[in-house]
Amino acid sequence: MKTYFLILIFILFCINEIMGQQAKSVILVYLDGGPSQTDTFDPKPEAGRDIVGNFKDAIQTNVQGIQIGQKLPLLAKIADKYSLIRSMTHNVNAHETGHYAMITGDMSGGYVVYPSYGSVIAFIKKDAYNGILPSYISLTSANNRFNEGGFLGNEYKSFDTGGEPEKNLFEVEGIVNRYVNAASLNKRMNLLKDFESLNVNLNNEFISENANKFRKQNSEFIAGKSRQVFDLSTESKEMRERYGLNRLGQSCLVARKLVEAGVPFINVRTTGWDTHKMHFQRMNDMLPELDKALSALLIDLDEKGLLKNTIVLCGGEFGRTPKVLYEAPWNGGRAHFGQAFSYLVAGGGFIPGKVIGATDKTGENIVDRKVYPADLIGTLYLLLGINPYGKLPHILEGELPILPSLGKAEQSNDLLYELINIPKPKVMNNK
Amino acid sequence: MRKYVLIQILLFVFISVWANEIDNFFPAAELKTGILCSDEVFIRRTYLTLTGRLPQVEQVKAFLSSKKELKRSELINQILDSEEYIRYMQMRWGDILRIKSEFPSNLWPNGVQAYNRWLYEKLASNTPYNNIVKELLLSKGSNFKSPAVNFYRAFLKKTPENIYKNIDLLFLGNRNQSDDGAKCFSQIQYKKTKEWKEEIVFVDIHKNFYSTSVTMPDKKVIQLNKGEDWRVGYLDWLTNKSNKRFSAVMANRLWYWIFGQGIVNDPDDWGAHNPPSNPKLMDYLANQFVVLNYDMKAFSRLILNSKTYQSLSTPTSNFVPQRLQAEIIVDALADITGISDAYRSRVPEPFSFFPIGTRSVDLGDATVSSSTLELFGRVSRDVSLESQRSNKLTSKQLLYLMNSSELEERLRKSVKLNFICQNQKNIAGVCDEITLLILSRYASNEEKLLFKEFSVNNKLNLRDLATTIAWTQINSTEFLYNH
Repeated sequence: MKTYFLILIFILFCINEIMGQQAKSVILVYLDGGPSQTDTFDPKPEAGRDIVGNFKDAIQTNVQGIQIGQKLPLLAKIADKYSLIRSMTHNVNAHETGHYAMITGDMSGGYVVYPSYGSVIAFIKKDAYNGILPSYISLTSANNRFNEGGFLGNEYKSFDTGGEPEKNLFEVEGIVNRYVNAASLNKRMNLLKDFESLNVNLNNEFISENANKFRKQNSEFIAGKSRQVFDLSTESKEMRERYGLNRLGQSCLVARKLVEAGVPFINVRTTGWDTHKMHFQRMNDMLPELDKALSALLIDLDEKGLLKNTIVLCGGEFGRTPKVLYEAPWNGGRAHFGQAFSYLVAGGGFIPGKVIGATDKTGENIVDRKVYPADLIGTLYLLLGINPYGKLPHILEGELPILPSLGKAEQSNDLLYELINIPKPKVMNNK
Repeated sequence: MRKYVLIQILLFVFISVWANEIDNFFPAAELKTGILCSDEVFIRRTYLTLTGRLPQVEQVKAFLSSKKELKRSELINQILDSEEYIRYMQMRWGDILRIKSEFPSNLWPNGVQAYNRWLYEKLASNTPYNNIVKELLLSKGSNFKSPAVNFYRAFLKKTPENIYKNIDLLFLGNRNQSDDGAKCFSQIQYKKTKEWKEEIVFVDIHKNFYSTSVTMPDKKVIQLNKGEDWRVGYLDWLTNKSNKRFSAVMANRLWYWIFGQGIVNDPDDWGAHNPPSNPKLMDYLANQFVVLNYDMKAFSRLILNSKTYQSLSTPTSNFVPQRLQAEIIVDALADITGISDAYRSRVPEPFSFFPIGTRSVDLGDATVSSSTLELFGRVSRDVSLESQRSNKLTSKQLLYLMNSSELEERLRKSVKLNFICQNQKNIAGVCDEITLLILSRYASNEEKLLFKEFSVNNKLNLRDLATTIAWTQINSTEFLYNH
């Protein structure tokens, strides 16, 4: 055990010192509801109408041997910037438990609620990241179907921006207020100060000092420069259009700005992927938006030199049935599918231009290299300099493993060493 | 000097008339320096503590103008008999029983509704605590038809060890106690029926064809005979009057629900490592709870009538200011603005929507939430720990109150503020009515002057001033805390 920790410390040392490229931020583009893998990153053009439905073609990408879905032409041009995992699996087919498995990596069936990896990162990076912005931000809201702070508590939950980034004014909850300008707010703050100094019923120094500290902090935030991170008018029209003038596109643009500001974890959550019905009609609208936003994000991050320190992930809580449900009431829909689905990974130390894992002809079964949520999240941690075998504090249990499923059969396979430039420690083979 | 003596004598008389037994457990010096809170603080505090909502303006006016000598204990009785009290207690019970449709309790909306209805009936009929525990522990049958079985369904891992661990935490305040009690729950089984999401919890009394026994931490032996429900032996041991811990834990929890701080704190962390801050008081309360036949209402009444509860909150007094819970703040903002959040359940599909105006205290299901509830630290009901509810004030919460478009819009559109401005023609009147609405008291002259000046300096019309007053008061710590 000791050797193994020493080796891990050595690895972390390697990442920090030798490579000097430790990932600093993560952008998760979360396709809430579960996107179809066969229509996106794992196309099966030969599989016949039962599988391909309306999208019978796949397109060749700029990396030889990699094809993706026909509705993603822009992403096809930049396949050398990302890698695809086509063998994600957790075998959970319900939204909230699938989401839980995918976002915490916990499939241990234990009795505690684990925190999402966004919360874990916010927790571990709380000292390293000292910015005024929250360390875990969701555009425009987190899923919140379970307690995403888990046993780490409310403090490490996501800050939901609310508002509509695609509008002219992106009204981030509490930061951008369309009714009250900075001068008026300032007047109000002074009024509040005078009001409280009258001390009618509550006179508690500790409470008022605490509140005043936060108010001062907030006032500086609201009036200061950091709020400009949400102001898209600082971006050129051309840049805004590149991302797509819709919720997803503009959220991705804000995410890039948040990365520039050093925010450790950004969750771009886009909904509507739960396409039991009208699947192909909806994909016709949604996939081009995703294509545009995600490709623009990757290119933009790359051009600005941010991609090497920024991890980008894209996927949902599960995939969708490769087989189209032509019968009523679905009439051409796809159902939940946790057995085999895909994730896109890029940046932050992930080796681009590769495909990990494979499914069979119909896309229903994994034939090569299963990747469980814990494998993906553990790799993410490695790249961020977080020990995937480390511990987290728990109020009742003392300490719990950061990824309880890691190393357990049917819950994890192996970290994605084939996708990162960190050698696999030898001792772990026998685990 | 004479005046001082006179005050002392008066105070002594006052205390001996007023003080109930509870007050005897605090040093006389503390009581002497302690001053009772004013009527306006008392009515706000008591409504918030017992019903989770601000008193209504008419209630405040009536109480403040009442000259009755016993108006405080009358108000306590009146609130304890109100519908709102039952509903608020239902929420607090729901927290520790972890009532939730989805992960990790996975009770499903039908189960949640049945369980809540059962709980409501128990609380409305003021069922003694030991009987509620009995019904929970001995429950069996369908989750829809025998709602108390949802108690056994809410555990993430349904092994005897984990069931016992939860029960030990819930009723005895033990964290990680190691003893053999789990054996008593080894006969519990679960099975599905053909009805969607129905589950039967049953006790397979023939599962073990032997008799055995377990020794509890107090060295008492529970006999477990073959062919019998082994939970009964545990229940008898648990609720036996000689098991002081059983009554002490709930007595302390009720104290905690009122004071926001237990005599044993955290209220779910009992043991030699965490002794009560006032052992004699704890003993007294545990005994009183038994003497009162585990009547939670009567027990709360005892506490509420004490000077200890009614003392002015100062850094040394017993009533420590508590930040309002998430539900209370969210509901209060809805009351003040007349516009409430819309709640919906995402299971089962298609989504179901709660009636407009539903109070968050009444949601009954931790799966149903909102960004604002989450922001203010609403409990997610993952584990039965009181500390899961986060009442810490954070900068993000103040950011929302200070500068949210959404809240500002609600204040500007508030029908209540419109109404106040139409009825009160002058600033002083508007000040009073808004202060009654938000802070449950009349505005002081200084406050009226302050707002008047602000309105003149900034050339605000009456309605805009109303928005500003409401904004100021909502942001004040006086509003944010129960003090």
